[in-house]
Order: sequence, then C-alpha cells, then structure tokens
Amino acid sequence: MSSGSTLTEILINGVSRGSVYALVALGYTMVYGVLGMINFAHGEVFMIGMFACVYAMGVFSVAWGDHVALNLGLGILVAMIFSAGYGYANERIAYRRLRKAHVLAPLTSAIGISTFLQYFIFLTVSKEKVNFPRYYSDLLTSHHIHLAGVDITYLQLAIFGLTLVIMGALYFLINHTRLGIALRATAQDQLMAGLVGIPVDKIIAFTFILGSALAAVAGVMVAMYTNVLVFDAGYRVGLKAFTAAILGGIGNVPGAVLGAMILGLTEALTTLAFGSEWDDVTTFAMLMLVLLLRPRGLLGERVADKV
Amino acid sequence: MRKLPILLSLAVALVAGAALVGCQKGQDTIKIGLAAVQSGSDAQIGATMLYGSQIAIDEWNARGGVLGKQIETISLDDEGNAQKANTVAHNLVDDGVVAVLGHLNSNCTIPASIVYNEGKVLQITPGSTNPKYTEQGFPDAFRICGRDDQQGPVAGKFMHDVLKLNKIAILHNKTAYGEGLATEVKKTFESLGGQVTMFQGIGKDESDFSANISVIEGSGAEGFFWGGMYDQGGPLLVKMRQTGVNLPFVTGDGCFAQPFIDTIGANAANVYLSFGKDYHQNPAAQLFLKSYNDKYHQDVGAYSVYGYDAANVLLTAIAQAQSTDADKVAAVMKSRSFDTILGKIEFDAKGDVKGSGFVMWTIKDGKFEPLPDSP
Repeated sequence: MSSGSTLTEILINGVSRGSVYALVALGYTMVYGVLGMINFAHGEVFMIGMFACVYAMGVFSVAWGDHVALNLGLGILVAMIFSAGYGYANERIAYRRLRKAHVLAPLTSAIGISTFLQYFIFLTVSKEKVNFPRYYSDLLTSHHIHLAGVDITYLQLAIFGLTLVIMGALYFLINHTRLGIALRATAQDQLMAGLVGIPVDKIIAFTFILGSALAAVAGVMVAMYTNVLVFDAGYRVGLKAFTAAILGGIGNVPGAVLGAMILGLTEALTTLAFGSEWDDVTTFAMLMLVLLLRPRGLLGERVADKV
Repeated sequence: MRKLPILLSLAVALVAGAALVGCQKGQDTIKIGLAAVQSGSDAQIGATMLYGSQIAIDEWNARGGVLGKQIETISLDDEGNAQKANTVAHNLVDDGVVAVLGHLNSNCTIPASIVYNEGKVLQITPGSTNPKYTEQGFPDAFRICGRDDQQGPVAGKFMHDVLKLNKIAILHNKTAYGEGLATEVKKTFESLGGQVTMFQGIGKDESDFSANISVIEGSGAEGFFWGGMYDQGGPLLVKMRQTGVNLPFVTGDGCFAQPFIDTIGANAANVYLSFGKDYHQNPAAQLFLKSYNDKYHQDVGAYSVYGYDAANVLLTAIAQAQSTDADKVAAVMKSRSFDTILGKIEFDAKGDVKGSGFVMWTIKDGKFEPLPDSP
C-alpha cells in the first residue's frame, strides 16, 4: 500500500473521529449557549444512551425476533427517550434550583451528577465492558464505498452525515425559528425573556431534552463504531468533546463541529507522524495555542451574542 | 437529643470491642491477603485468579489449617489502578496479614511490593509478568508465573521462525505490562534480523483504533503484535478484520481470557497467544478444575491455577518453616522444590520460577489450544 493512500485513510479516520466528538460537543455547546454553564453530566447521558439502546434491542429481539433495521431503529428511539429523561431530570434536580446561585455551584453540581451517574451505571448495569451486538452493527460496518483509493464504511458516512445534518438543523432552529428567538432571548437575559412572556423554565428544559436526545444518537453511533460500551465511555469522549467545544468557541454551533474536526484530524495525523502516544500532547498544545491567539476559540463571539 | 449519650456509649463499646477482638483474632487465625483487580476491564482474569487461591486455602482449612490454626483470607480489589493498589497494600499490612497472594497487573504488583517489603510481608504474584518486580531485590517477593523477558522472546521467535515474518508492527497499551512485553518482543524480533515497522502505544482507555490500524497497514508489516489486555485486544482485532487487515495477530497472556474469544467471535483465525504450558493433562488438575466448578459454577480463568499453586506453595512453606515470619518462609521457598499442578517448580535467588516455559497457543472451536509445533 502506498503512503499516499495511508494518508487518505488517516484523514478519513480523523474526520470520523472528529464527527464522533462533534456529536457530543454540540450538546455541551447548546447548554452553554443558553445557560452559560458547562453540563459535565452530558457525557454520562451519552453513555446511558449506549446502554439503553443495547438493552432495548435485546428486549425487542426476544419479543419479536431479530429484525435488524427495525430493532436498531426502535433501539435508538428508546435510547433517545431514556437519555432525554435523564437530561431533563438532571436539569430539574441538579441545576434548576442553582440557576441563580454563584457560577461555581451548578458547575460543582454537574461534576457531582456526572460521577454519580457513572458509578450508578457501574454498580447497577455493568462493571465490565460490554460488546455492542455485532449482529446489528454489521449492517453498517461491513459495507463499504470505495473512494479515492480507500474503503469508507457506511457507518463512517452515517456518523459524518448525521453530524452535518444535526449541525445544520440546530443552526436553523436557533437562527430562523420562533423557538430559536425564545432560546436566544433566554440566553441573553432570563428575567427580561420571562417578562415578555417566554416560558424560561420550559425553554431551558427543552434545551436539555434536545441535547440529551442527540447525545443518545451519538452514543449509539459511537458504540457501533468502537464495538464497546463501558460505564466511563461518556467521561472519556466527553472530555475530548468539551475540549473541541472550547477550541471552536463554546456556545457556537458550527464552532463545536469545526473544533471537533480539528481535534479528530490532529489525533489521527499525530498517530501517523509521531505515534498515538503523543495524542494528548499535540492536542492540548494546539488548544493552548488557539486559546492564546483567540481566547474565545476559533469561532467564538462576544458573550452577548452566544447561543 | 436524648439518644445522643446512648449512641455515644454504644460507639465507645463498639470501638473497645473491636479493639479487643482485633487483639484476640491475631492469636487464633493466620491471615492471608488476596489482592487483585476484581472490577473494571481486567476483572475476569483478576477475580478468577483469586478464586484459585481461595480453593487451595479452603482445602487447607478443611485439613485443619496450617500451624494448627485456621487460615483467614482478606480479599481486596485494587481496580487495576496503581494508587488503589498502594492503598490496598497498606490496608493488608495494617490488618496483619502474614503473606499476600497478588496482584495481577504489573503496574499494581510493583508499587504494592514496596509496601509489602517495608511491612515484612511475603508476596507471591500468580500473574504479573513484568521483570522489574523481582529485579527490585526484595527478599520476600516471589512470582509463580513466567517473566516478560521469557514470554517476549517466545512470541518474537515464533513470529520470525514459525510464521516466517520479516516485518512486524507492534502496538501496546502504555502500561508496565503491555509496554514491557512489547519491548521484549521488539528486541527479540530485531535480534533475529527482522524489522519492526511500527512501535506505538495507545491509552489504556482508548477504544478507537482506526488511525492506528491505517498506520499498521501503511507500514508494510506482515504481522502484528498487541502488548495489552483482552478488553482492548478483542475490539482491536475485530476492527482490524473489519477494515480488511488480515495480518497474523499475535499477543501475550493478557488476552488469554474467555472474554477475548467471546469478543472476537468469528475472527479467531490467524490469532496466536503466548502463555504458560497446558496443564490439563496433569491428573491433579482434574480435581482442582472440578472443585473450582463446584464452588464458582464457571470455568477457570487463565491464572486460576497459578493462584491455586501459589497458595499451596505458600502454605507448604509456612508449614515446613513452622513460622509465619516472612524471611523464614522465604528461605524455605528458595531451598526446595514444590510439586504443583503446573509441574515441579523451584525458585531462584530473585524469587522467579526456574526455567518457566511459555508456549504458543491458538484459538480453535472457541477454546484456547496449545500449538503442537511451538518452539
């Protein structure tokens, strides 16, 4: 194999990895955009989506047999509902009462919820890694298209496509709909938004529900991509996604995707050039450099314009 | 709060009682620590290793214990984490154990051994293969399995001489075990005239291997060695085969676990592992396998029999030394040979087993099987 096609492969791997980070980073950036807080439990909601889907598919295959596409589709739906429930509960229980407290209070609460959920799953669901049932993922992973001399699986395409679709949909929702106006108003000034008749609590709850449902879809995709479900998967992907959101300018939807792509590509190229043990070194060196030059991230805007 | 005085006096009574019991307990039982990873990704190998030790200790207790006392075990989980292993080691020393059977992961065994050495507690690891453990010069540290500088050469030689490979790629998990073993394989393979086209590490928690696989493929390697555990090895192998990379996949004892076979499923062809000799032919093994199955209702893990043998060697040595003093027991262990399920074993001055033999295994019909023509 020539080194040219290795480079192409590496670039595709980087984009796939970046898409995975992007799906999670969008959730971080949405909540930050509206509330100005980092929802550290977002990674855990993502992980719960993974488990909910796999367990639901198990139940379905017992109930009416192994219909791959049907069970997978319903599994993703169950995962979205489950994760949305967790996301809403997080907001209702851990954040709502702290909305007017000092900025560190909801942050601490978020870290607490994150740890709680991780170990809750660890103790009640699985202490070990669980394999994603390949019977279902083979549908997407064993088919390729041939492009520029390399094979790209349907799953890689699906993850990349999904990232772009969700990014576009969110951008449209925020900038071109009535709901988006309410979101932006809530982000700018909750009191004023309330005074003009915007149901602030509902808008914020909606943000969490939407972000969590997206995280569930991301969770299922990542579980298929890596074949593995584990209780701290959300923490690991979450940390990278959070970094990506900062890199792109937290609060900015296209920024999160841009940051995630840059992160994924940097990691893949590092593996090619120096070896994967240098991943974290190059990634965080780049983050520092970007933040030194552009303290609000690549596409970061003035605080008043966030969302 | 009228209940407070009552609660207080109860608490005082409890503490006093515990102290008394603590004093007395030391008199009529002999405590042995069992320490290994029992949760998280390596749990299957770690927990089953300790189950093996527990069976040996149960057998001794049924025969009346050792030195006329029953043996009490304290089993702790180090989570495969070096800091936790250090805490576990301190707890065991504080609890007054006379010896420890454990740990599994080399990155736990090595830091824990420092604590045991200071506390004058004898340690036998049934499953840590990193050479450094017995190279620290601790008088009471033993290992009943082989070392990576024995395992690595067997795997490296196999790849060069039997698989006839000239170029290999190596990936490891950056731990004392994984990187240590990978380095030994590299050394051997290069000394035989082979070429290592890639030598990289990947985080122990990483689960996206696609970039590494592209680099392996692009490096022109004819074979691949994985230095790490089964929890990453399984998905890595599956991903390689899905990507269409069908290079021979060679790995070490860290993947010698049933979950590895379960994960790779139909991708078991062209997979080789280095591990200790097959002991199933030994008649003594049948009895052990049966009692293991009766007690735990599952098949043995890779290191269960090592755990069993380690406990038997320890208790035999304590009985002969007529003492639980670490130095005296260690002196007995180094002075004689022991008959175990794994064969007759003797320890050298460092505490390693003399001439321990690794052989190459493969996977056939969902089971590990030793290769007949292994060097």
